[in-house]
Amino acid sequence: MLEVLGSKVLHFNLHFIGVLQLFSQTIIGAVTPPFRIKDIIKQLNFVAVESAPIVVFCVSFAAVVTIIESSFHMKIVVQNDALVPGFAALLILRELGAVVSALLVTSRVGAGFAAEVGSMQITEQVDALKMLGIDPIRFIVVPRFVACVLGGFLLSIIANVVCILCAMLVSQLSLGYTYGSFIMGMKGFVKFQDLVFASIKGASFGAVIPIFSCYYGFKCKAGAEGVGLATTNSVVTTSVAIIVIDFILSYFFSYFY
Amino acid sequence: MIKFENLVKKFGDRTILKGISFEVEKGDILFILGTSGTGKSVLLKNIVGLLTPTSGNIWIDGEEVSQYTEEQYLPIRKKCGMVFQHPALFDSLSIFENVAFGLRRHYKLNEDEITKRVKECLSLVNLNDIESKLPQEISYGMQKRVSLARTVAVGPQVLLFDEPTTGLDPVTTNVVNHLILDLSRKLNTTSVVVSHDMHCALEIADKILVLDKGQIVEQGTPEEIRNSQVELVVGFMQEVENHV
Repeated sequence: MLEVLGSKVLHFNLHFIGVLQLFSQTIIGAVTPPFRIKDIIKQLNFVAVESAPIVVFCVSFAAVVTIIESSFHMKIVVQNDALVPGFAALLILRELGAVVSALLVTSRVGAGFAAEVGSMQITEQVDALKMLGIDPIRFIVVPRFVACVLGGFLLSIIANVVCILCAMLVSQLSLGYTYGSFIMGMKGFVKFQDLVFASIKGASFGAVIPIFSCYYGFKCKAGAEGVGLATTNSVVTTSVAIIVIDFILSYFFSYFY
Repeated sequence: MIKFENLVKKFGDRTILKGISFEVEKGDILFILGTSGTGKSVLLKNIVGLLTPTSGNIWIDGEEVSQYTEEQYLPIRKKCGMVFQHPALFDSLSIFENVAFGLRRHYKLNEDEITKRVKECLSLVNLNDIESKLPQEISYGMQKRVSLARTVAVGPQVLLFDEPTTGLDPVTTNVVNHLILDLSRKLNTTSVVVSHDMHCALEIADKILVLDKGQIVEQGTPEEIRNSQVELVVGFMQEVENHV
């Protein structure tokens, strides 16, 4: 029992060190030339542009649920739902927009990265890069990292704006709030810094996705099972990391209110 | 040129290479033969630092490289080319860009010179008019030949081949074997070839090394290998005779 626990702790430590090493090498690669602008743009298209429709679609529904549920519970607890616009907007900006979009990007983009890098690893393309004098981290990870940071930042803004608009629409249709009264209600709760913090969260979540995905891709074992396992591990670990980072950032940002 | 001394490679508890020692002179062709899973590819990857030995020494051109870092390995890899077991072509790049990849990285050539060199290397492996295709649009055998062209394009002093003819038809196998011989004789390129093909090894190798369960069970010139009494080598020789 103790042996198994010890082995798991050792395993976790090795992964943790490996991820930190990959992260530090990626940061160095991202801020030093050569900058692979073409690759970054290509990845940005995959990460942000192609993910935008699914993010918009899902956060719209999340906004609807937030408004309806908030109203329902407020009516029970405080007998009226006058605080719904402010409460919902706060929830959307502080948590929902950034976290939901990051989790969606993880399942779409992160899984794709892990499978792609895993296939490159087992078909010796990563070794071929090394033999041609190319650093695989600079070639594979850095463009994806930069694209995900920018993409995460942009998608969180888009997600928050769409979410608020949908909340306004549902409030009008379902609860009878005019757009003006919704905005007035929002103003009491929400500040501009909420949007800034949400964007910082989006960029941070974006940074996590390629690091874990590429890490598990590089560690991929041969065969279809190996690629499947790398993909699963990357999605699960990234999702957990996003939730943990969300807690850390929320705690840190609370000092600014 | 390349020297291994008591090289051991372990993966966890499993010892793959158990004290390998051999030498290859400049311009020689060394064939490493053995059954599957005996550590041939592992041995090859240790030469260029794609794997790091657990213990033992590796010398390349008199330089001890066994514990080099990735950065220290860069100049070593620049003079070595490796043809992998898989074609290992970059999926997102065309055949032309795959072959030109190393040229763009290592040499300051203009586009005309790159185009000329790419066409030259592709025709060396009997491939023409496929430059604009993507790797997934050509057959596996063609991909392996492109991989060989990409490796040869940068003009390495040492060529490492990991089963270069597996999956190729007999005609192309012959072309590849003669290419290895030509590069060695005309350009004095040193070649280390991991293979199952004893017939080819006897034909073009200067030295043959037979591995079994991570150990060298026999090594020598083709003539010495023909006369070996080691069970595994005898088995390989019987295969050659049956083939003939």
